[in-house]
Formats: sequence, C-alpha cells, structure tokens
Amino acid sequence: MIDPDIELLYAIDKALLAVMILVIMFGMGASLTLDDFKAVGRRPRMILIGFLSQFGFMPLIALGLAHLLRLEPALAIALIMIGCLPGGTTSNMFAYFARGHVALSISMTTASTIMALLMTPVLLNLYTAPFTRVIADQMAEEGSFFIPTKDIVLSLVLVLVPVCGGLILRKCSRGWAKVAEDTAGFMGMIVIVFLIVTTLGRHFRLVLGTPWQLYAASISLGLIGFLFGYWVSRLFGAHPIQQRAISLETGIQNTPVAFAIILMSFPQPQVQNDMLWLAVMYSIFIVVSSSCITLWLRKHGQFDWEVYKNTLIHGRLFGEAYQTRYPDDFLPARIAADPSQGALSGEQLRKD
Amino acid sequence: MPNSSRIHARNLAELYRLAAERFETLPAFATRQRGGVWKPVSFRELYDRGRRIGAGLIDLGVEAREPVGLFSDNRVEWMLADYGIQLAAAVNCPRGIDLTDEELVHIVNHSGMKVAFVESRGMAERCLRMRDRLPALAQLVLLDDGKGIPDGVISLEGLAQRGQARLDAGDADVDARAASIDAGDLFTLIYTSGTTGKPKGVMLTHANMMSQVDHVPIQLNCTDRVLSILPIWHIFERMFEVFAISHGACNYYTSARTLGDDLKQVEPTFMGSAPRLWESLHHRILNGVRQAHPVRRGLFHIGLFLGTHYREALFVLRDNDLRLEPVHSLKAALRKLRYALQWLVLLPWYGFFNAAVLESVRLKAGGSLKGTISGGGALPPAIDRFFNAIGIPVLEGYGLTETTPVVAVRTPENLVRGTVGPMIPQTEVRIVDFDSGELLYPNAGHPGEGRGLRGEIQLRGPQIMKGYYKDSETTAAVLSDDGWFRTGDIGMVTYNDCLKILGRRKATLVLRNGENVEPEPIEMRLKLSRFIDQCAAVGQDEKFVGALIVPDLEAFRDEGIEAETLEALNRLPEVRQKIQKEIRAAMADAADFKRYEVVKDFRLLDKPFEVGEEVTNLFKLKRHVIHERYADVIAGMYSKERA
Repeated sequence: MIDPDIELLYAIDKALLAVMILVIMFGMGASLTLDDFKAVGRRPRMILIGFLSQFGFMPLIALGLAHLLRLEPALAIALIMIGCLPGGTTSNMFAYFARGHVALSISMTTASTIMALLMTPVLLNLYTAPFTRVIADQMAEEGSFFIPTKDIVLSLVLVLVPVCGGLILRKCSRGWAKVAEDTAGFMGMIVIVFLIVTTLGRHFRLVLGTPWQLYAASISLGLIGFLFGYWVSRLFGAHPIQQRAISLETGIQNTPVAFAIILMSFPQPQVQNDMLWLAVMYSIFIVVSSSCITLWLRKHGQFDWEVYKNTLIHGRLFGEAYQTRYPDDFLPARIAADPSQGALSGEQLRKD
Repeated sequence: MPNSSRIHARNLAELYRLAAERFETLPAFATRQRGGVWKPVSFRELYDRGRRIGAGLIDLGVEAREPVGLFSDNRVEWMLADYGIQLAAAVNCPRGIDLTDEELVHIVNHSGMKVAFVESRGMAERCLRMRDRLPALAQLVLLDDGKGIPDGVISLEGLAQRGQARLDAGDADVDARAASIDAGDLFTLIYTSGTTGKPKGVMLTHANMMSQVDHVPIQLNCTDRVLSILPIWHIFERMFEVFAISHGACNYYTSARTLGDDLKQVEPTFMGSAPRLWESLHHRILNGVRQAHPVRRGLFHIGLFLGTHYREALFVLRDNDLRLEPVHSLKAALRKLRYALQWLVLLPWYGFFNAAVLESVRLKAGGSLKGTISGGGALPPAIDRFFNAIGIPVLEGYGLTETTPVVAVRTPENLVRGTVGPMIPQTEVRIVDFDSGELLYPNAGHPGEGRGLRGEIQLRGPQIMKGYYKDSETTAAVLSDDGWFRTGDIGMVTYNDCLKILGRRKATLVLRNGENVEPEPIEMRLKLSRFIDQCAAVGQDEKFVGALIVPDLEAFRDEGIEAETLEALNRLPEVRQKIQKEIRAAMADAADFKRYEVVKDFRLLDKPFEVGEEVTNLFKLKRHVIHERYADVIAGMYSKERA
C-alpha cells in the first residue's frame, strides 16, 4: 500500500487535472451529434453485444484479476471501478485507425456513457463488497467506509455537464466544435505526459517500490478486455470490422471519469492514493497497449477492410441495387458467405 | 492465396479473355455520370462487346498485325475499341484528338492504317475534309454517336452489329485470330508527341507489355480502385490500365476539372499520375490550410514538421537516404544512431499528430491511397517531401514510350527521395559518357563500380521497344545490336543502387560562356512559388539564364491583387515586383544553384502554356515550340546584352 502521507497529487495538480477532464469531456461532447444518439437505436444488436462486453465482462475481468493477483482492497476497488466505467472517445479514434466500425464505436461510447449513470454504481457495489468490508474493518477507529454511491452518481452527472456543453457547441458551430475536439484529443495526450511527469517524476521511488501485481493488473485489464471484446463479438456473429470496434471499445475505458470519481468520491487519503496510483498506471499503459493493438488490428484487418470499402463504394457510385461479386476463390469463407460481400448489409460508415 | 486475384497471360487478347472469365461482373471501368452517379462496365461486358467489335473489324477487312487508328481521349469506348483491335490481332495506333493536321496526316500515312476509330463527330468530319491527303484511310468508326453520324462513317455499335452477324453465322475468325498472336507481335504503334521534332512510331510488342504487368512492383487486387487522369493513349496510363485489368481492379475515369470531387467520391487506392497533378494537389491542400481556422493551421504546421522529421529519420534508418558518395561504415552507424534517437523522440508526438491532423489532410486525396506512381517528368523535391511527410508516399518512376514505359520505380521499401528508385526486375542499366562513349557504370575500374558518375542512361530489358516503325536509321541510332537502348537522358546510379535522373540532354541550355545549365531543376524551383503557375527557363547561347513566367491569377487574387486576365495582371507593377521577389527568394539557396544558373531576368507571359501547343499532355515543355513562339520576348530580354 502506498504511504498515505505521500501527497501523490498536490492540490494544484488536482485542480489542473480537473480542468483537463473538463476540456476532454467537453471535446467528447463536441464530437457527438444528436444523430449519434439516434443511431444507437438503429443498431441494437451490436450495441447489446458491446453492452455485454463492457458492463458484463469487463467488470468481471477486473474482479477476476483483483482476486487472482490478490490486490490490496483499495487497489482492487480502483481496478473494478475502472472495469465498470463507460468507454472513452479515444476508442473512436483508435477504432478509425484500426479499420473498425467507427459509427458503432461512437454509438457504443454514447450508449455506455448514459448507461454508466446506472451501471457503474450498481456494479461497483455488487463486486466490491468484500473489499469494502476489509477497508471498513481497517478504518474502524476513524469511522466507517462504504462505496459512496451518491457521490459517484453525482460525479458521473457532473462529468456529463461539459459533455452536454460540447453537444450544444457542436449544434451551434461545427468549426469550433472541431477545434474543441482536436484540443481535447491533444489534451488527452497532455494528461498522460502530465501524469508521467508529476507522479512518476516526483515519486520515482514509488515506481520501483510498486509491486508487480499492480503492473500486471493495470496492463492486463485493457489487454484481456480487447481479447474478450474481439472474441465474444465474433461468437455473436459480428463482422471483423465490428469486432475491431467492439474490441477496442471494451478495453479502453474513460479514464478522465475515473479520476473525477476518485477525486470527488474517495477523499480518504490512504484509499485515494492507492486508487489514483492504479488509475495513473492504467491510463499510461492503455495508451501504449491500444496503440499496439490498433497497429496489429489495422494490419490484420487490411484485407477484409478493403473488400468492405470497395463493396460500399460500388454501392455508393453505381446505386444501391448494384451487386458486387468477387471471384470465388478470392474471399475468405467468412466474408464470402456474407451476401453483402463485406458491406454489412448496406450499413454506412460514418461520414464527416 | 485468397487475396491474390492476378491473372497471367501471354498477350493482351488472352488477358482480356481470362479477365472476363475470372472477374465476370466486377466493374472494369467506370465513368462519371450526372449527380455523383457512375456507370460501370464489367469485364464480361467489355470482352463480349469487344469480341463483336473485333469480328466487325475482320469484316471490314482488317488483317492481323495491321495498324488501326484510334483517335480519342479517355473514355470507355476507347477500351472497347482496343479490345476489338487486340482480339482481331491488329495493332492499336492511338493518339489524342488534340493532334495537329500535320501530325494526323503523318500518322495515318506513315502507319498505312486503313481503318480508324475517331472519338467525335467533329474529329470524323476533320478526317473526311482531309480525305485527299489521307488516301489509304478507307473507313472511320465513330465512338460517340450522340451528335449523329456523318455519311460514310459507321458507329461503334454498327461495327459491333456487323461483327455479331458474322459470329451468328458461325464464323469464329476472331477467336482464331486471338489465338494466333505471337509474343513478338505488336500490340501498339505509338506516335510520340515528343518534346522535339516529327512524331516517330514506337513499336511495342505484347511481350513488352506483359513484362510490365509481371515486373512493375505494385500490389493490386480486385478490391482496388484506380483513378485514371492521364491520357490513355500515353503508354504510362495505358500500362496502368492493363495492369489494373490483369488484377481485376476497376479504372475510374476522371478529369482535371472534376479531380477534387472524384478523389472524394471514388476514394482511389491507386493512381498513376504526373508531377503536375501533385503540384495542383499540393496547392489545393495548402490553400485549404490557409483558409482554415488559425488553431487548425497551427496544428497542421506542427504535424507537417513532425512528419517531415519523423520520415527523415525513417529514411536514414531504412537506408533510403540519397547516397551520391560512398559512406564510411562507422560514420554511417553513428548517423543511424542519431536518427534512431530522433525517431524515438518524435514517435509519440508524430503518432498523435498523424492521427489527429495528417489523416484529415490525407482525406483530401481520398484517404484510401495505398500508393501512387508519378511519371512522365521529374517530381519537384519539395512536393515529394511534402507528400511523404503527410504520409502519402509518392513512388516516382522513370521510363519512356520506348520502354513501355517503366524501367525503374521507387517501392515502399526503396523509397529513396531524389531518385526514381531501383531498376525493376530483369532490367539492366548502364551509364555511358556522352562524349567519349566510355562505360562509367558498371565499371570495376571506377570506385564503387562507377556509382555517382553522370552520363547517358542506357537500358536493356524485356520492355524495350522493337524499334521505330519504318525507320531503321533512327532505330539503329538508339538501339544497339545487343539490345541496349540509348535514352538520351542524363543520370547516375546512387550508392544504394537507385537511379537518379539529372535531366534530358536535349533540354540542356548551353550559355554563351559554354556553361551547361539544366533548365528543369530551375523551373521546378520557381514553380514552388504559388504566384508562378508555369515557367520556362531560357538562355541558349545567351549570357545568362532567363525565365518566361505565367503568373498565377488565383494566387494574386487571394492576395487581393485582382485582374480579369493575365494580360491585365501583368500590367500591374506590383505583380512584376512580387514575381521578382519570388524568383530572388527561390534562387537564394546558393547550395543548389551555381552562380551562372541563377535566373537574372524574366518576362511575364500573357497566355498560359497550353496542352498540345507549348506543353505535351504530360505537361512537359516543348522547348522548341516555346523558343519559336516567344522568340521576340526572349530576344527582348537579351537585347541589351546582344547590343
């Protein structure tokens, strides 16, 4: 456990982090339109699969890891909490470069962000109960410890305020929304650098002293999430393009929300430090691991993507009635069996 | 392998047949209609109609190995006519419709063609008017019958019907013809527009073309979309179209006017292109940036900066830096270490900006481009650097009509900027001194076997033409008995075995003091200014290098200097001043230009260089035409000196 006397983040850091979260969430809102919300209803099957892997598997993966690695209770709670969070907008960018279904990724982010208001507190209470009890026993003399459900919901609502602000901006001015979106993207990177510099730089001894279990947990959570998302969606018959989107969406969590919840809902220093530490680790490693996974998916998915894209463009240029037929031995069996020859039965890529 | 769709054939007729059998309903060509709708033609349809046209040609009395004219610009009917010609084992003799009367008479009579396809009613009437000068030309076939058919001319459909009647009668001549084609038979006879003199008929064989399909290092399959913008009767474009057919990729016909739109609609994965296209795309992207929000503009420049230096590091790490001299191995290792560091430091930042900024720039070029080969002229280094930095690797290639055309091209693995890449398989190069005839490369007597020495590029390989039609004298002058072809181009082989082109011998300006000046690098540098649309460096037998300049109306308009015409613009004193400043800035980099190469004076032209007049279809300057047409202007520029 991290020494509760260490100030992992100074007050000024916390304030800065809060501003960055605000900017990022605002940018997230600015990247969305009302149509994206409506689109959620148009692809319920894939959204459901996404929902299953985001709120079904991901928290369980976190729970399993916490038990398997025998994490300290506060770390376990943080890991499970990250597992219960909605997806972030970075997943949309990664989905784009991984040749995934961007519209699906956006729909999933949108849906999970709203669902998180309910799911995150419920799942957190459900899965963290044994760990909470341990902490409560340890802190018996200082008072009681429980999962502050009300505060968590409040944090989630507060985080949604700038998202709504962004949405409104997008409605008023596309140009400025684009600027806000880019700024947020850039800010996402700055946050990582900021976290590395402030925490690792200042508390380098912590890095050396951190048990391997913590590294293992923060790295594996994302990786196992990717893996589950990829194969579970495949089991449910998703197209490779959707598989890639769901995979990334499952593994990448909205870390700014994690920081917001930790800072607002867990004021006890010994708990907060541990939780922050894990969130910092996850945030740093998830960028690296999703970049690598994206590169891999991009290369691996090039062929089915080109088939999909070509079929789609044929439809766009020659009319929806046009049937693209590739030579028999050209397509892999899975795509050849698809009557749309890879074009997802007329579903369109998000156009900007 | 599931994702290869390649067909191997021995000649074009066989290729066309196999493509129909393998790709059936896949689109082979598509043309733009109104309202963003495109009309596809399938491989099967092309072949079936082409076979009827072939039978029709036989019905007209066209013999095997006989030249058939095809005077038309890019359109699907061009390809149909070619299918017909190839399936009838005849020889396609193509040319665009911008040719002059003299050229037309020369081509028709020199080739001895009896049948010719013509694109439009206007073209047909032009031929009919000159009938007495074209005695052997017996039959015209009209490709576009929208405006009615003149007497004595038949339509493409009419020809196909004649062929169909023949096929219905059980006559399978056309199939027997196709089967009779020998690899050494001509598939085309191309009269080069050339930058100099009278058109020469270049004889290219089926084997020439098939070797290109085998060896040009591009990866395509039947999910690819190839955007065609260059004139089809030019061998560079023609080779790409045949290449696309052999992989089942679809060719989409576009034009300079609709290019921007078509890039967005078609999202091409591949493009054969000329430097001019990249220049215009470059201008377009920069214009878009100039008008963008300041924040985005800033982000773009950061992205471009990171891209440039990131790629620079990659070039060195992959041994793709330009090497004109041998490098000591220790020095090379240290250099690599330095660039490895640079790469590592830039990687995360580049990664982010690549995703957030450069990708949206790439979308302006359709966003799906896997690669693009630029040929038909030298790509300006700054343009080259720009597109590499934003992540669209432009593969510059080199070749001539006489070489079907590709002899060397950069590949993603050998992306050495400033060169045209390594030779393609089975192609040999040697560098020979122009004056002494001494073999410079490969020559064990020179350090590095003669790499880095400049001389004439000579080539040998399966793509070298059979010769010039009915002109054994000129053929003998360029083609040796043991198969070496003299290109007349100046070049050298670099230390990483890439070919570097240094200019065309005939373009070289010899100043009065005997200094040789290559005008092309100077023109390329000047054209980087957005205020200069076109230019030509002159100065043959004069004291200094001068430039003829066509200012860019739009660029001046953006600066608030408005004029309706070039003539009006050129009268404004600030235009002259601005151009003067631009030239001085362009020439300021003394490392690139020797003192005598610096442009000392210039004249503004009131009329842009036009295709078919002062420039060829690939926008290469026809220097002799420019010198003739602007003799007065040039004389005026040098009058003081001469006096």
